[in-house]
Formats: sequence, structure tokens, C-alpha cells
Amino acid sequence: MIDQMLSVFPESLPHLALAADTTVAPDIFAGPISLYHYLFVAGSLFALGVIGFLTRRNMIVMFLCTEMMFQAAGIALIAFSKFHLNHTGEVFVIFVLTIAAAEAALALALVVLLFRRRETLNAEDWALLRG
Amino acid sequence: MGDDHPTPSVTREWVNALDELFNPVLFYVLLTVGAIGVTLAMPRKGISPQIIGGLIAGAGFGGVLILLGISGYQSEDVPNLYFFVFALISILSGLRVITHPKPVYAAIYFVLTILSSSALYLLMQAEFMAFALIIIYAGAILITYLFVIMLATQAPSEEQVASLEGYDSTAREPLAATLAGFALLAVLSGLMARGVTEMQPAPESAQSLEATILAIMPQKIIREYQQAEAFDYGLAEPTIQEVQEGFDPNTMAMPLVIEDRERFELGLETDERFAEMIPSAGSGDSVLVRLPESRGITNAEGVGYALIAEHPMALELAGIILLMAMLGAVVLARKQIELGEDEKLAQARTLGETEEDVAHVGGGM
Repeated sequence: MIDQMLSVFPESLPHLALAADTTVAPDIFAGPISLYHYLFVAGSLFALGVIGFLTRRNMIVMFLCTEMMFQAAGIALIAFSKFHLNHTGEVFVIFVLTIAAAEAALALALVVLLFRRRETLNAEDWALLRG
Repeated sequence: MGDDHPTPSVTREWVNALDELFNPVLFYVLLTVGAIGVTLAMPRKGISPQIIGGLIAGAGFGGVLILLGISGYQSEDVPNLYFFVFALISILSGLRVITHPKPVYAAIYFVLTILSSSALYLLMQAEFMAFALIIIYAGAILITYLFVIMLATQAPSEEQVASLEGYDSTAREPLAATLAGFALLAVLSGLMARGVTEMQPAPESAQSLEATILAIMPQKIIREYQQAEAFDYGLAEPTIQEVQEGFDPNTMAMPLVIEDRERFELGLETDERFAEMIPSAGSGDSVLVRLPESRGITNAEGVGYALIAEHPMALELAGIILLMAMLGAVVLARKQIELGEDEKLAQARTLGETEEDVAHVGGGM
């Protein structure tokens, strides 16, 4: 089923192997994208997540930024999995998804509790531990 | 799947291309442009140049992606436009997640990040994970976030209807945080560029992994023969045991018994697809039949095999973590109900406890 859906653009599925077929005329919709391209996207998303976590003061948005870092890790894992032609990376993305779900459940329950105490989501209002 | 492995010359050209990309400062200049843009795009009080900042950051990231595409041309790789489109969408919507002052919009933009990165998964042929990502992340986790955003918001009073909280509309230390983040990105991408060029793909070819998984799925093999219409031309359907004994993963073929010789000959003459499956038709009782090349394992089957056969511990751990998270959430969310003396007595009576227990409950708590 999925195979049929994807066969709409059959030549466009990139293979992360670095080999290139020079006999085929260049087609901007097709061709192999190297591992590094995906790693750069993953790195950018991770850096954006770090920046967001450091700059935002709303606790919910801070947790959204950690989810974005998880997402970056997922892209890198899948790219490596494709590069090594096995499915281990995808299995670990399942693991990452589980962690993300558990984190969302627990962290958000905590956020709701904290909000009930002080009626604010500002992380700086909870700076008592800073000493 | 099933690509040839890179020849040394192609790899060397790739190394040269990356050297040309990273030795000049162009890459780092573009990253600096991106950093300036992200700093400007951060929310702050008063008139904030958010749109200009977003455009500059987009130009920076887009420039890096274009640079990567051009370096791909030098190494005779052909860029895939879908990749660049979805990469840019995911990065820009990620930028909007961290810069949008309203948390609800940030969450919605994060859904866009999820959708475009699941498109990237699809481009990497990880179909199962792509759809699981949409269902779990965009469908479940983000909805939880939206609910919590709605739960943990004060009802706006009459005079300040749509005003934002001060902590949402101003970023904390935007310059320092952006510097830290982009220093991390510059170091990461520089080191990764060096590491990737030295990496070799795993020596095991995709074909053999596919064959290993196929060999332990006899019913799937029978079904694949059936879908290739092998049994319509006088071949007997094998039992599961026969498949387990007879299927050869290296040649992807197994001997099948010929029941009806005439129909078999007819099939060989008339059906090209069927004839391709038979490497050599002898005169014996059985004939070696190959699986059609397109009938490999699907991505979901491969992930399932890797999950159950190679990493069962990860599966168990995931289950335990989910259980702990569920218990933790229930404990955290449980509300303490204050009972009066009369209610305590009534509850104790309904539980069928003795007079002393009732007295104890009444006095002790």
C-alpha cells in the first residue's frame, strides 16, 4: 500500500549511499542526499531547541523546546539507520518517542501543579533553588 | 535499499567537496548571519524587528542549505528538491516555535516542524516511523501540550483582554543564548563534516538483511508467491515446513513441486513475469522458483524484526518507563479532598469497620 503511494514519485527517494549514477540526466526532484545533509538539519533543530530553552521563560514553551531537541535526535538516528542499512536507528526513535511521551505526561502534570500554587508560568518565579 | 556501495573515487570527490565547503569561512559567515537573525527574531518589549530577524535567519539557514546542495553538485550528487523544501520548512517553523510570544501558536508551529520532519523520514524511506511520528507526536503529545496551555492560563480580566504576560513577550538574554546555541551548531556541523567523510557504511548489504528477515517469515514467502500468481500455473502451494527447509536466502528462491505440467508450460510461454521467476525449467518433478525482486520486506516488517529480535530490552524498558510515567502522573494529579468529621464517620461506617477504628479515625486525623 505504502509502496504504491510512494511510487508516485519513484525516482525521488534518495539513497544515503554516496554513489551517483552519472548516466542519468540531472533532475532536481531526484537524486541521493548525503548523510551530512540530514545531520545538518538535525543539528540546526537541536541548536534552535537549546536557544529556545535558554531564552524562553514560559515553562510550557521550555518543554516544547526540549521536544524539539528530541525531534532533532530522531532525524539524526533515522539518517544513520538509513546510512548503515539496518533498522536499529528506527527502533531507537521508537524509544525516543516513548521517552518524549512519558516526559510530556510527567512534566506537564508538574507544570499544572506549579501553576495552581502561584498562578504563573514564569520559570523565574521558581528560582528558590538558586540559593 | 539495495544500492551499490560508494566507490572510492566518488568518496574522495565528496571529501574534496566538503573541504572546499568548510575551509573557506563562507559556511561560518552564513551561520553568523543566521545567529544575528535569530537574535533579532526573539520577542522583546516595544517595537521588535521580529519579521526582519526571521527573514535574516531564514536567509542564513537557506544559504547553508544551498551551499550543501551546490557542494553536492560538485561531487556528482544530484540534490533532491523535496529534501531542501522540507528541511527549510522544519528549520523555519522551529525558529517560529522559539520566537512566537504566544504559547498556543508556538505549539501549532511545532506541529508544522513535526509534519515536515516526518516528510524527511519519508524521504529516508522510514515510512513506519514517519506515520508513527505524526500519530504520536502531532496527534497525542502536542494535544496534551495544548490542553495544559489552556488549563494553565488565567482568565483575562475585562481591561486586559488580549495582552500577553510579561514573561512571554520578552526573551531572557537573547544574545548570549543565541551565541551559545550557534557556537554549538558550528562546532557540531564542522566535526560532523569531518566525521562523515571518514565513515563507511556497514559492510552488510541490504539484500542479506532483507533475506535474513524473509527467511524467518515462511507465511510471507507463501503469500508473496501467491501475489506473484505463481500458483496459478500448476505449481503446488508449499507448506510452512517446506518453506522453512527449502527457501534459500542467498538466491531468494525455493523449489516448488509441479502439479500440472501443461499449465506450467503454458505459463512459461505466455506470462513473461512468471517466466522471469523460473531461472531454469528442467524436466523434473520440481522447479526452482525465485521471488520477484520487488517483493522484499517492507519498512514496518524490518522495524518490527529489529525491535523484537535485536532490541527486546529496549521494548521492555519503554514499557516500564511508560508505566512509571502513568503512575507518576496519577500521583501528581490526585487531588487531596478534605473530609469533615461527620463524613469521615460515615465513610468508616460504610467500610464496615469497628467502633474502635471509627474512634481512631475520628481522633487521630
